[in-house]
Amino acid sequence: MDDFKEITAGNKPFKKAYVAIMLWFVGRAIQAAARVDKDVKKEFEKLPDGFTFCLGVLPRGPYMIVGKNEKGRVKYMGWKPDGKRIDLDMKIKNIEAAILMFTFQESTAAASARNRMIVDGEVPYVCAIVRVLDIGEVYLLPKFIARLAVKRYPAWSFGRKYIGRVRIYFRSILGY
Amino acid sequence: MYLSGYYEFCCRVKMIAGHDALEKIPGALAQLHAGRPLIITDKGVSGAGLVDTVVDAIKDGIDIGAMADDVPQDSSVKVVNHLADVYRDNNCDSIVAVGGGSVMDTAKGVNIVVSENADDLMKFSGVGVLKKALKPLLVIPTTSGTGSEVTLAAVIKDHERHLKMAFASYFLLPDVAILDSRMTLTLPPFLTASTAMDAMAHAVEAYTGLAKNPMSDANAIAAISLISSNLLNVIKTPSDREGRLALANGATLAGAAFSNSLVGVVHALGHATGSVCGVPHGVCMSILLPYGLEYNMHKRAHFTGELLLPLAGAEVYVGTPKHLRAEGTVAYIRKMNQNMHDATDGRHARFFEEVKDRDGRRMVPREKLEDIAEAALDDGSIVYNPEECDYEDFLMIIRAAWEGAPLDRSLIKGV
Ligand SMILES: [Fe+2]
Repeated sequence: MDDFKEITAGNKPFKKAYVAIMLWFVGRAIQAAARVDKDVKKEFEKLPDGFTFCLGVLPRGPYMIVGKNEKGRVKYMGWKPDGKRIDLDMKIKNIEAAILMFTFQESTAAASARNRMIVDGEVPYVCAIVRVLDIGEVYLLPKFIARLAVKRYPAWSFGRKYIGRVRIYFRSILGY
Repeated sequence: MYLSGYYEFCCRVKMIAGHDALEKIPGALAQLHAGRPLIITDKGVSGAGLVDTVVDAIKDGIDIGAMADDVPQDSSVKVVNHLADVYRDNNCDSIVAVGGGSVMDTAKGVNIVVSENADDLMKFSGVGVLKKALKPLLVIPTTSGTGSEVTLAAVIKDHERHLKMAFASYFLLPDVAILDSRMTLTLPPFLTASTAMDAMAHAVEAYTGLAKNPMSDANAIAAISLISSNLLNVIKTPSDREGRLALANGATLAGAAFSNSLVGVVHALGHATGSVCGVPHGVCMSILLPYGLEYNMHKRAHFTGELLLPLAGAEVYVGTPKHLRAEGTVAYIRKMNQNMHDATDGRHARFFEEVKDRDGRRMVPREKLEDIAEAALDDGSIVYNPEECDYEDFLMIIRAAWEGAPLDRSLIKGV
């Protein structure tokens, strides 16, 4: 039951549940994009094996953890940071700010400019993960929303964008 | 005036500025219940006689605990830990830092170690580690540039582990910053030029960046105005005390702006050029600032255009049609660089190809530009830049800045 407490406890269960679902999806999508997209692959290649990254909401979640295992494979590692060694920790200061971000009313860049996040970890990691999250958003969201979330909507080929999108959706849902 | 929806701003540093500000140090320390400072400085500063000036100004009112002038060019963990021992061995109760960015960063590091009663600085890196106020810290900048006197960060190198540790906390803000014209009077013209352009870049990038807000905007505008209207005069007449004090104020104001609103592509590429080729930070800033503005112009033309007022004054601003003001700002900064180049017999570089080291060797070989673009991708400043910057973008900017040709804005992605 402990696993669900984080989501249902507190006085904003629906907001927390929404953010939890989004985080779950983003985590799985990063895992998928690391197999499908050449730029995401490259970003993770530069990160050390065993690297872990946690994105979550203060004070008590929800969270999601993505990491690279010893063999260099990128994996979604669940929603519980407890006991895990985290190399890059990005925490959104409160659930309201998380809602702004995950309903795409506020871009990732604007959120960081407005001090919405507490980031702990080495700066090159931050830069790499911000790029990964941006690419993920371009895959997952329709253009009219993604344009609000990223600084510059990329000019990708048809194949990269649409075929990549289908592959990432499938992989995210099926989890491989 | 631009109003950001939500922002945070903090600059709780007491300022004491004037031609006789040093004499106020004993009183400022007494207010903080301290009276036995460790003075931290470097050989360059003490060799220039600046520490003597400070000591002469304060020795009657105060009991100096100890003096350490062995801060190296680059701050280092070892030095910090050593100076913490000096502090404790001499029963000091406060720190007075006299110098540039690396002296101030070192002093912030020492302050962490002595206040936390620790033996090693490295235990305190990261966010939120510091929980309580530190010992009183007074800083006296001897260059008008970095703005470290009002920033909450310190970067200290661990040479053994080849790491650059970043410390950030509101507790690292100095208690008092002292700006005294005597401290910068002897700064040579070409260093005055590049350090002031670092401050200029802080103000301009804070004003045109994503984290701009009314508080930092006000600081940035005042900084730009003071620097722009005094810099060339001071370079031509280094003994101009009023001008020196104006530049010192400008650098501090710019520091308050960027400490809260951060910087962008100019600093990202500048840090990378510094680490790949060893070019001094201010030199990188002078060269890159117009390019950064050009790169972001399709998103920030309005704000860039507004800067023509503090840069060039009311007449030029009003006389320039609105749609030409942003380009006017860029052209004005290029003209400043040209004027400083002329006034320093060419020592102030306008583009990277002409940057030379002390022995006259070219510091930025063309084949290093790819490495610079690659290194810039790891710099945190890009997060706050209005436009995305990938490897190709960085390479395009650094190539133009190497040759000295204006950026071909039609090649910028997304324009
Ligand atoms: Fe700077």
